[in-house]
Amino acid sequence: MGRLMNDHESDLIAQARDILKKKFGYDQFRSGQQQVIQEVLSGHDVFAMMPTGSGKSICYEVPGYLLEGIVLIISPLLSLMEDQVNQLREIGEKNVRALNGLMHPEERSRVLAHLRDIRFLFISPEMLRQHSVLTALSRVKLSLFVVDEAHCVSQWGHDFRPDYLYLAEIRSHLGNPACLAVTATADERVREDIVRSLDLRAVNYVLMSVDRRNIALAVHKVKSSEEKIEELCKLLSKVQLPGIVYCAGRDWTEKIADIIRQKLGLRTAFYHGGMEAVDRRKIQNQFLDGQLDLLCCTNAFGMGINKPDIRLVVHFHFPATMNAYLQEIGRASRDGKQGLAILYYAEQDEHYPLGFIDANFPDDTLLRQVLRELDQGLLKLEKKETFLTSLQDRGASETAARFIFENVRFVTRGMNYSSIFEECRKKITERRSVQLNELSMMKRYLNSTTCRRAFYLSVYNESQSEKLDLCCDQCGLSLEAFERACPQTSDVHPEQTLDWHQRLATIFRESERDI
Amino acid sequence: MEYRYAIILYLVNQFRGERTISGIYHLLKGKKSSQSIQDSFLFHVEPFFHSCEDLDRRDFKALIDECMSRRWISSPEQDSQRFVLSSEGERVFSRLDGHLLTPEGLNFTEQVNEESRFWLKLQLMVQTLSALLYHQRAFLPITRQPSVTESVRRCIMEASLGRSKLAAYFYRELVYFLQRCPASEAELLTAQLTGYKMSGLTVKQIAELTGKDEYECRILFKSALRRLMREIAEFPNYYPYTGRLLIVKKSALSLSAEETLKLIRSGLSLHEVAKKRRLSQSTVEDHLVEIALKDRTIDMSNYLSDRLEKQILEAASEAKTKQLKPIKKLLLDRASYFQIRLALAKEAVRRGEDPNGTTDE
Ligand SMILES: [Zn+2]
Repeated sequence: MGRLMNDHESDLIAQARDILKKKFGYDQFRSGQQQVIQEVLSGHDVFAMMPTGSGKSICYEVPGYLLEGIVLIISPLLSLMEDQVNQLREIGEKNVRALNGLMHPEERSRVLAHLRDIRFLFISPEMLRQHSVLTALSRVKLSLFVVDEAHCVSQWGHDFRPDYLYLAEIRSHLGNPACLAVTATADERVREDIVRSLDLRAVNYVLMSVDRRNIALAVHKVKSSEEKIEELCKLLSKVQLPGIVYCAGRDWTEKIADIIRQKLGLRTAFYHGGMEAVDRRKIQNQFLDGQLDLLCCTNAFGMGINKPDIRLVVHFHFPATMNAYLQEIGRASRDGKQGLAILYYAEQDEHYPLGFIDANFPDDTLLRQVLRELDQGLLKLEKKETFLTSLQDRGASETAARFIFENVRFVTRGMNYSSIFEECRKKITERRSVQLNELSMMKRYLNSTTCRRAFYLSVYNESQSEKLDLCCDQCGLSLEAFERACPQTSDVHPEQTLDWHQRLATIFRESERDI
Repeated sequence: MEYRYAIILYLVNQFRGERTISGIYHLLKGKKSSQSIQDSFLFHVEPFFHSCEDLDRRDFKALIDECMSRRWISSPEQDSQRFVLSSEGERVFSRLDGHLLTPEGLNFTEQVNEESRFWLKLQLMVQTLSALLYHQRAFLPITRQPSVTESVRRCIMEASLGRSKLAAYFYRELVYFLQRCPASEAELLTAQLTGYKMSGLTVKQIAELTGKDEYECRILFKSALRRLMREIAEFPNYYPYTGRLLIVKKSALSLSAEETLKLIRSGLSLHEVAKKRRLSQSTVEDHLVEIALKDRTIDMSNYLSDRLEKQILEAASEAKTKQLKPIKKLLLDRASYFQIRLALAKEAVRRGEDPNGTTDE
């Protein structure tokens, strides 16, 4: 911000702008991007907090064309990785690869054998801990060590990944390339944790506002689910789409999708974790391709989804944290146009997030039993997946199973597993109370009588710069601004044809030839 | 009557209360356990094995509950998970046309172990070719299963002709097949295929769009898929490219059972096979039952004498059951469970192939 650029730096920025235009087709950097890129190009460690939709990937993609060596991007989620690889391929970049646990071993060795040709390498933290991978990487030059979703390194973050704890060690093993740690949201405590755990030195902070100014906010209090559905239908019959409706459970996603389809005739589908992988992928592709007006989903949908023209995000049930809420509404209007986020709130909804929090941890009985069985040798730790599955078979959630695993794996030989029971319980109480605090913050947001935006900004120690025209329900919000031009879409959509010949011809581009 | 009720009534009737409702669920899902495979033969419902692989347990449970509340099925013992048709159920069932339940292609089960993988490969191949034809640089693949991705990749790399030619051949082969397929089946298969800007529909979506029953959609699709696999196996010359996605196996045996068969043919005893393959004896026994079900030419007299086989079958018909325990008891433990299963398996094959042997008495 304040620092003056020297000649060398302004030269680098000019080159960066050139790349931005040539490769990505943008004339200008968005706010924050230039500063991050400038620091990265100068070889500094950078901590960047950039809200979802602010184009954080540009911050390491542009330097990738200017620095010598591989840009290594550590990404916790496969879907995220896949999406980023695709985006680079779409701009014509061929030297981009991903390494993750789901790959065929042959493909993995192909990637490792051709490391030198690669410009961008996306990798999962687990993969980075494999000896063969680390050895191969230590033989090539890395220009930048990017830690995406950096909040995963923090125990206080909402998405702690134990594999992230080894990143500092790995980075030093790879010759300490400059590090860029990126996250969408992190409060001060999490920020400190990240910088310490990643061992960032003389770090430069680039903290962008979490404010998504082009998304208007509203909370609607209702008495019952029936009223919610009624309100939702009214809303959907008018406002601009496509949209997402977030629900607390899979039954709700199916039920609401059904009602909307029947009542409004919108192209609606549902998406949740209980579906077959192929079906989930189909629905996701339909949504991305514009074959759907509305998607009713659980929070299983969204990570790594890059659809710039989502106009509406509805919460049929509210999430457990402000952070999750901002992430989810942040999927609206990434193209910078006006978007709308509406949350329907009934008192009794609280049991959903409370249930999630409970499910995050094992209860005392299960914990005690598992520790005892480990002592007796009835349960074994050798195979992580088997261990996790066997806990899940006993009714533990995936998060709870992982919690136990992370705590028992450090018990050394000769030590009694049961001896860590109290220690685990203490941790649970601690983490639970953090989560309950976050939930009560969320509820304060729902019940607040002042500007919604000012409220969430204050959670991140920010204040509002200027009043917006379309801010929130407390500031006064009329839905007229969001109305769609023609309320009923009655066009025939080619993708819905069931005529097999026509369909197949379109897929194979045969309709353009003569048949 | 909606197809979903018909299929439940049909299967409950076939199972005659000798298996729990989970048995029916596993049959439809195609659980790869010897119990499920064997059941499909014992109760003459092989076509339905693996016919609804995407079935959700809760949806299935709801359907069973519905059949119960309509008083079509009931449990002979209280609190039991075994069901039989009630008299009302029998009345409704007797008016059904059984042929409509089983489209022809559903019976082509010889490649049942390969069908999921083949279908994934086909979908990914079509999606990839479509992306190539439209010059789409990147797309989200329909599956990330490494073995599927790898074999589609290899298939494209190995085809010496240009990619648009390859696509044209695939298109031609698919059209050739679909024209020979009943229209409703062709529709169901094609609607699930994904291409550029045309993502495939899920079976649920197709059911909604067509107003057809979801279970019927699944069955029609499976019929189409199995027809395609049989066509490829029988007329490989007509499907030089699509055929590359299918490893046509001569026998329908699972890989593991095939391995066991090889060793037995080389002269090893059951016990030796188990030891050599580091399997439990009962797993090897499962293999033998599977072999007996799928290949009647293999001689089983080392494990089951003709005399004992006859006694077992007599006991079974006396006890009027296919459950092992009562049969074993009636024989005063002269036969092992393995021998009883083997005898029942051989009998099931005989009856299935005998045109005069009726399946329902
Ligand atoms: Zn406001």
